[in-house]
Amino acid sequence: MTRRAIEADVCVIGSGISAAMVADKLARETKKTIVVVEAGDDALPMAARGGARERFLGYGENPWPNDHIDGLEIDGPLQSRSMLVGGLAMHWGGVTPRFAPDDFRHRTIFGVGDDWPISYDDLDPFYQEAEELMGVAGEQGPRAMDPRSKPFPLPALPLTYNLGLLKEWASKAGIATWSQPSAKASAAYRGRPACCRNDTCTPICPIGAKYSPDMTWQPLRSANRIRLVTRTIIRRLVLDRSSGRISHAIGLDRARPNEQVEFHAKQFVVAGGYAWSSHLLLLSAQAGADSGIANRSGLVGKYLTGHRNVQAYVSLPLRLFPGINEQHSLLSKQFMRATGGDFIRHDLRIWESASGKGPRLKNDAGAVMLGDEILTDWRQRSATGVARVRSYYDVLPDRSSELTLDATRKTPWGDPLPKLAFRDAPASVALRARTEEKIRAVFQDLARAGNGQVIRTATDNFQDHPAGGCRMGDDAAASVVDSWGRTHDHENLFVVGAPTCVSGSCANATLTFCALALRSALEIAK
Amino acid sequence: MGWLAGTIPAAAIVRGAHSASIAYLTSAPATLDALAVAILPAELGTGPIGQVVAGFRHWIDGYRENAELNHGYGNSRLRFTGPTPATRWAQQLDDLDAAAQAAHGASFAALTVAQRRDLVRPALVAERGIPSSPDGATHVGLALLGFFYASPLATDLCYEVSIGRNTCRPLGESSKHPVPRSKRSAGRVLTVRTDIEAGS
Repeated sequence: MTRRAIEADVCVIGSGISAAMVADKLARETKKTIVVVEAGDDALPMAARGGARERFLGYGENPWPNDHIDGLEIDGPLQSRSMLVGGLAMHWGGVTPRFAPDDFRHRTIFGVGDDWPISYDDLDPFYQEAEELMGVAGEQGPRAMDPRSKPFPLPALPLTYNLGLLKEWASKAGIATWSQPSAKASAAYRGRPACCRNDTCTPICPIGAKYSPDMTWQPLRSANRIRLVTRTIIRRLVLDRSSGRISHAIGLDRARPNEQVEFHAKQFVVAGGYAWSSHLLLLSAQAGADSGIANRSGLVGKYLTGHRNVQAYVSLPLRLFPGINEQHSLLSKQFMRATGGDFIRHDLRIWESASGKGPRLKNDAGAVMLGDEILTDWRQRSATGVARVRSYYDVLPDRSSELTLDATRKTPWGDPLPKLAFRDAPASVALRARTEEKIRAVFQDLARAGNGQVIRTATDNFQDHPAGGCRMGDDAAASVVDSWGRTHDHENLFVVGAPTCVSGSCANATLTFCALALRSALEIAK
Repeated sequence: MGWLAGTIPAAAIVRGAHSASIAYLTSAPATLDALAVAILPAELGTGPIGQVVAGFRHWIDGYRENAELNHGYGNSRLRFTGPTPATRWAQQLDDLDAAAQAAHGASFAALTVAQRRDLVRPALVAERGIPSSPDGATHVGLALLGFFYASPLATDLCYEVSIGRNTCRPLGESSKHPVPRSKRSAGRVLTVRTDIEAGS
């Protein structure tokens, strides 16, 4: 096997959204040389995304060709197979609420779970910075529920005609709602065009109105400010036992598997998301780090977190017009506020929907309809509307909510694959039924307020926006990294973004991952 | 599809059948046109019905077997498209024609709309509903319905306004009540999926 070495001041492992935040800040604020290593391929260029979207719309095809690596089939609920430049955020929905202040103080307020080593106020400037980098469009919600020190960088996406009606409906139930903050340009922003409601934010925006990490990588690469090495999988971090520092990372170039690629750097940043970050640290077990790099606490891979949800469809006597901008929603943080009682918190989102209102083949008597019969029937049934409502709710992670190395399954190059198991802490297990019942009661209240009816409810059996595995904390025995993302065990090794979360809140978490990564970058820059 | 030779090796027959079926369906067979007139809403008008059929043929022509399907959020399973449905659909058009000959002594296209519907209905009785896109349809009639009713054009027709679902439209217009549908704003004839829900 031949060897090739690449040197830089900072080596960032992974090229997803948290990596993009770190690299961008370091490039802007330092003169450090930066190499970014990505296991996957480059993403489809912007010019080809319109065509890819058409194939998705017409045939359901994956609009991101080669966005995963064969052989990385995992036992457990992996959020996505996406592994490409830009990561999972190449096909995210661009939904960017902040966490609430109470999210960082569960132990103090509710007597359960753990407080974070930072407060909302500590993170506020980094939330702002992330919002400006991504061009977040939003409106200030009621300050008690939605505190922020500066305005959003872009005006909110306008409420559609449908959402205007649904906002009125929610207010009748005493629920304050506002436009969901989104990393979608409501006006031209830093070279990005304004959103024109193509409405396929997930999985692909054909015009670049929605932020995706390639928008950060492309200018950094064009300016030669970073070096982005694709198709290269980092398999080990190597420890210098005399200093306790990471000396280099060992990678495999998928195009040249017989060549070992070494990355030598002063600082290493693991930015592989909630799954692959812990996986790499565990894979890197070696003399002096018998249970894995950064794992003296034994907590690498532990406390995987996220949130569950309850969803419902509510029929309403409202004339709605589905399709105006279906992926935009209303948001309320009203139920995220501390009440001092049980640890039951959830958000609330409201969308227009056409569920149950589509054209049908058979009438109520079961007879096949053809020609104008179908259209007439569809018109009659769509004279009134449907809203989709969903609440994410908090789940406290158990220590055994974990990523481990799978003894039975290996990558194509012989390393154990990760194995995932999400497990709720006993306090959350005890509260699950009551939490879901409370949310269903909110949905019923909403339905009654609008003279409507809940037509069906559902819960997903997975935790969305997964995070954790390298949780932050001040106590090196009870956490993997400090509040800056620096590992307790290795002075020059950082883990950034999702893995460092202590808990998963009850809101979409990507903006928080980005804010945490930017805060880490401040420390890395020193 | 009686033009398939019986002595060709099976694999070649399958490959040949696929391409021949696509050629057959995309070359304007009268039976498909007649089927469209029978099952699509007459309110749409003759010209737009023709556009829908042309769009459907274009869709068939563009179908790719074994293409990777979108792997959605919260789902890491990879899925792929199946064999082209064109072979089955072409056979079903032939079956309709044969049934027309048997019942009325004339081609399917030569029948009245009511007579055509009487022949189509039995084929759809066992179906559960209109699919959100043509690819899952077991019958060509159902596929055509799925193709049309998933389109922005169908939504606009139903609601009698110009929504333009899944098309590029000014963001600032979204707060307004959609304007009444006119022929000028009839929307494009392109199938889109109706099973997309907002992700994260």
